[in-house]
Amino acid sequence: MNRPPAGPPRWADRFLEWFCHPDLLEEIQGDIYELYEMREAKWGSKRARRRFTWDVLRSFRLSTVKNFDLLISPDMLKINVRIAFRQMLKQKVFTFIKLGGFALGMAACLLISLYIKDETSYDQHYQDGDRLYRMLAHNESLPDSWQSNVFFPAPLAEALLADFPEVEAAARISPGGLFGGGSNTLRRADQQENFFEAGFILADPELLDVLEIPIVQGDQDQALVEPLTIVISERKAKQYFPGEDPLGKMLIINDELENPYRISGVMANIPDHSHLAPIDFLVTLSGVEFWEGEQSYWRANNYHTYVRLEEGASTQQLETKLLSLIDRYYLPSMIAEGVKDAEDEANNMSFGLQPIQDIYLKSGGVMDLLPHGDIRFVRLLGAIVLFILALAIINFVNLSTAKSANRAREVGMRKVVGSQRRQLVQQFLTESVLVSALALVLGVVLASLLLPAFNQLADKQLTLPWLAWWFLPVAALGGIVLGVIAGAYPALFLSTFKPIDVLRGHLSRGAKSSSLRNALVVFQFATSVILIVGTLVVYQQMEFILNKKLGFDKDQVVILQGANTLGDRVGAFKEEIQRLPLVQSVSVGDYLPIDGTQRNSNRFRVDNDEQVIGQFWLVDHEYINTLGMEIVHGRDFSREMSTDSTAMIINEAMARQLGYDDPLGRQLNNGPDWNIIGVVKDFHWMSLRDEILPVCLVLEESPYMISVKASANEMDQLIGQLEDTWSRFVPHQAFQYTFLDQEFASMYEDVFRTRAVFMS
Amino acid sequence: MGRKYLGEFEELVLLFVAVQAGQAYGISVMEALETEAGRSVNISAVHAALRRLEKKGFVRSDWSEATSSRGGRRKRLFTITQEGEAALVEIRTIRNQLWGRLPNLGTNLSFS
Repeated sequence: MNRPPAGPPRWADRFLEWFCHPDLLEEIQGDIYELYEMREAKWGSKRARRRFTWDVLRSFRLSTVKNFDLLISPDMLKINVRIAFRQMLKQKVFTFIKLGGFALGMAACLLISLYIKDETSYDQHYQDGDRLYRMLAHNESLPDSWQSNVFFPAPLAEALLADFPEVEAAARISPGGLFGGGSNTLRRADQQENFFEAGFILADPELLDVLEIPIVQGDQDQALVEPLTIVISERKAKQYFPGEDPLGKMLIINDELENPYRISGVMANIPDHSHLAPIDFLVTLSGVEFWEGEQSYWRANNYHTYVRLEEGASTQQLETKLLSLIDRYYLPSMIAEGVKDAEDEANNMSFGLQPIQDIYLKSGGVMDLLPHGDIRFVRLLGAIVLFILALAIINFVNLSTAKSANRAREVGMRKVVGSQRRQLVQQFLTESVLVSALALVLGVVLASLLLPAFNQLADKQLTLPWLAWWFLPVAALGGIVLGVIAGAYPALFLSTFKPIDVLRGHLSRGAKSSSLRNALVVFQFATSVILIVGTLVVYQQMEFILNKKLGFDKDQVVILQGANTLGDRVGAFKEEIQRLPLVQSVSVGDYLPIDGTQRNSNRFRVDNDEQVIGQFWLVDHEYINTLGMEIVHGRDFSREMSTDSTAMIINEAMARQLGYDDPLGRQLNNGPDWNIIGVVKDFHWMSLRDEILPVCLVLEESPYMISVKASANEMDQLIGQLEDTWSRFVPHQAFQYTFLDQEFASMYEDVFRTRAVFMS
Repeated sequence: MGRKYLGEFEELVLLFVAVQAGQAYGISVMEALETEAGRSVNISAVHAALRRLEKKGFVRSDWSEATSSRGGRRKRLFTITQEGEAALVEIRTIRNQLWGRLPNLGTNLSFS
């Protein structure tokens, strides 16, 4: 029988006696005892004991606590510190290893923590951040990677506002290149020279309100309201209008003289830690209609939609309510277009609300074509930080206890001359805190030295937050806490040595302590092995990705930007540079297998009235040749065949999706009918980590970019010749070029970064 | 030191000390608080209030004889001082004046 011993709990009583001021002890202890006796008689000892403990804890107040002698007197501390320094100097190599290991661990942790902090600080700057959401569309009829996406019909924002009182504000953006987002050429209306700019999006006037973008010059409420207005960032205002007032000035985009844009506001630069960054130009969506009826058309999804909800609105309830959109709008429009199985498709649809803070890190599985961090990677790094810290501490513990033989005699002597165990513990803890503090200083210095290199590796602009109010206190506290944790075991272990054993030469190395040390060593090695294996696996994966066959040849291709300024003469220009000896082939087209070029997702109707989704790319005759793609079935476009104006080449992914034994001669319809004449080998046009999605190529103009494949690796010479030709055709247009392989590499910067962070 | 004020809880404790006329100690006050004022408090709260009252000079304390209960520990018995009585009287005077000026007392006075 496990009957609790009679009487009040001993530990609570001892605790009371320990902390309580002697003048008050008799009264308090007496009263609590008396209460205990009364309660025991009334309720039995179990409950009385519980109440006793509670009374003791409640009596633990500032006013009852005795004046403790300082845990350690200043004199003692001075001596301890001096001894600690002597010890450290006595064994320089040992100290170096101990300190160095600790410092390295701390530096690594500091850097990784900064990285984690940076990754988790995206989109935290909104005042109403807890009420801001991005709309998500779910549709199980779509291919896997599109099942969750952020693309919505134009009239959705308005419908949300009208039909759901919880929605306080809604705004759309159109970031894609199709309607003028992404990259464009830009010039002042009063100047001739064009510049290449990448940060365009089309936006509703309400976006400024919803995403809390402050207008620093101009009217916050009126900017973007009028058609053909544009808001530019402060940095671009400085660049284009140094020393001038940009308000009311006109800008020409892509040399479209008939549609000049008036600057109606200058916005504060979008913070780097916004999922939208880097955006410098907001082109108004007001008065925009890309084709007749586009703004009320429910069957094209080209807009991201953000909403701000009323305070206290439940997202769960709203998500359920949003389903009514399907019956009200989506389904009628599908039926009106005669979509087969419209009901089935409607049943597969639903909507979600993604908190704005989650966009950067938690968009796994959401198709939004934006760069993202990965919450799993951040968590992994967090775990690694803890492991590294544990390793550093264990290393410290092992080194300290391993040296115990040397300190044993010291401990013995001290005990003989009357040192108490508490004082010894204090001495050893002082030593470890000192080491940890020094290591911390070293670690911070090391981290600040490594930071530039780390920033380059990780493509971040991290800085040590010296001036943040929390940095120094947290660092100091961290140093002390780590020192105490790391020093606790060695201190307790060393201070248990019995003087008599030590002085006789028997070191009391009990079986217990050595098994703990063995366990620590095993843990240490296991963790190291896991980290190393993990690094190797990551490294191999990256190597795999980078060396994987791309399905196109990225080498020796120059891309000329802003070719639309050539206008009608683009054909002549193409012929002219094709004659250059260094040029193998030339293709005019904006749809390239690298990020930041045109994309256009389409639905196609197939023979049997089923629907498939695929990219619809407008290319020219030389496209496949220039990009080194391979026709695996059928044939390439040909100038001899006049029927090729309705011809289409699909990639293998599309062929798989269609599922025909032989896709040649079949038709796809997205308005007009397209005859499939060939199948091109799958090429990676999105990140290599994603599966290759279906693509269809047809012969049509897309005049912003020209790709030039060189016949020899004489790129400098080629660029010179191209520029000469270019400036003969369009003397006022900046000659802007990039290399395909560089653009390709920049797509995988995050891959390199991940690898770099792991390797470091 | 400026004027000494009595908190609401302190005033109640002081009243019980006065009522119990020399026999008041932690537990007796705690029990009185529970049975007569309907307030269930922890013993430590009573101790704290008594300490504050003693510091302010409203009560003084003496040790009782040791008995066999309480593990042989003595009780600290509290008595109200003249200063304490004066403080209680002052509070009562002020209250009486104010209560006398309340119209319609007891009919539609509501505390909310």
